[in-house]
Amino acid sequence: MALDFNYAHPEALVSTQWVVEHLDDPSLCIVESNEDILLYDTGHLQGALHIDWRRDLQDPVVRDYIQPKDFAALCSSHGITPETTVVFYGDKSNWWACYALWVFRLFGHTKVKIMNGGRDKWILEGRPLVRDLPEREPAHYPVPLVRLDDEIRAFYEDAWSQSQKKQPLIDVRSPGEFSGEITHMPEYPQEGVLRGGHIPGAHSLPWKLAVNPDGTFKSAQELHHIYQQSLGLKPNDPLIAYCRIGERSSHTWFVLTYLLGFLHVRNYDGSWTEWGNRVRAPIERL
Amino acid sequence: MSDYPQKLSSIIFLFEGLSDLERRETLIAYADQAKTHEPKEGQVFDFEDVRKDEECTDSVGIYLIRDKHQRLHFKVKLGPHVQTLTRAMTSILCKGLDGITNEDLEKIPQDFVPKIVGAELIRARSQTVYYLLTRIKTAARVWERRNTH
Repeated sequence: MALDFNYAHPEALVSTQWVVEHLDDPSLCIVESNEDILLYDTGHLQGALHIDWRRDLQDPVVRDYIQPKDFAALCSSHGITPETTVVFYGDKSNWWACYALWVFRLFGHTKVKIMNGGRDKWILEGRPLVRDLPEREPAHYPVPLVRLDDEIRAFYEDAWSQSQKKQPLIDVRSPGEFSGEITHMPEYPQEGVLRGGHIPGAHSLPWKLAVNPDGTFKSAQELHHIYQQSLGLKPNDPLIAYCRIGERSSHTWFVLTYLLGFLHVRNYDGSWTEWGNRVRAPIERL
Repeated sequence: MSDYPQKLSSIIFLFEGLSDLERRETLIAYADQAKTHEPKEGQVFDFEDVRKDEECTDSVGIYLIRDKHQRLHFKVKLGPHVQTLTRAMTSILCKGLDGITNEDLEKIPQDFVPKIVGAELIRARSQTVYYLLTRIKTAARVWERRNTH
């Protein structure tokens, strides 16, 4: 008997048509986040503003995210308040859109959505891009009291503990990276990892399994099969996902948290560039 | 004496005087011109090197002509998934290296890239801007080797 599944939080995923219909909604802010750092400048959705994952969301000196006061300043300058619904989209099947969404969640901003299929789908559908920069009045965003590191973020010690306790660790990199055959992403230059392999006990579940060829997310039923039936994961499992620097794993974090309703998913943003370079960190290879 | 040919020096000089915003706008303008540096239908080249390397998202084709004065002229064709910065660098290099000799091409250091692109835009996953110069040099070198034996 076929089971009927819906996304756990269907409101978190919107279509390109939905975005078209809400372009003038004052309670929305559309944000583009890409890997291609000049892509936004070549054209973007009308009214969309650019949040660059490195310039805007990362500490400029220490490998960490910005502090709550910086997040508040960023949002304030862009006219975003805690009541603003932020719709993220971008290139690379929404890798960096999911990353930016995850960072917004890190600071407690819950009104977030992803435009399914991202930038590529918008263009494929022949929808217009503009080069005009949006004009948004600055607003007041109160400084978040904390950054939710304990809830949705994992550090080396957490990943180590997860491995030791044989609790679910999801490695979302390519099979070649997981096995240790290669130390860089396919089609990307080496990003400086000294060792190949994976965290002991991690399961290989490449992020790509969650998307269709056009970059849209697979159906709830398909995702259920991939993550729950095949791997036996349960929504109450304490789960950590990782990749190389946390962008592909934030994509998977979105899938697990919003589409499948998993309750305790954390993104290990140090990921393999930390683990694979760390002295004496144990490594498994296939 | 500059290690850069005159045309490339002029471009570098232009970029060094720009603000960050102007730099981005100028890079976009160069990226928009990348298609004009593609080989034209029926055009014949002395050497062609079209491939997709492991470290690049898409294919890059280098097309080389050497004129009767032993000077090199390049065309470049990029796959659709190449980053915008790489497309900008394509235009810059096709213009900046136009008419260069093989000997002078070999001497060009890569240190001009951050002078054009700026420190903020050079980062992880933008390293293919260096890749393009490497491919152009390699094409010229291989062609030279084949034609002196």
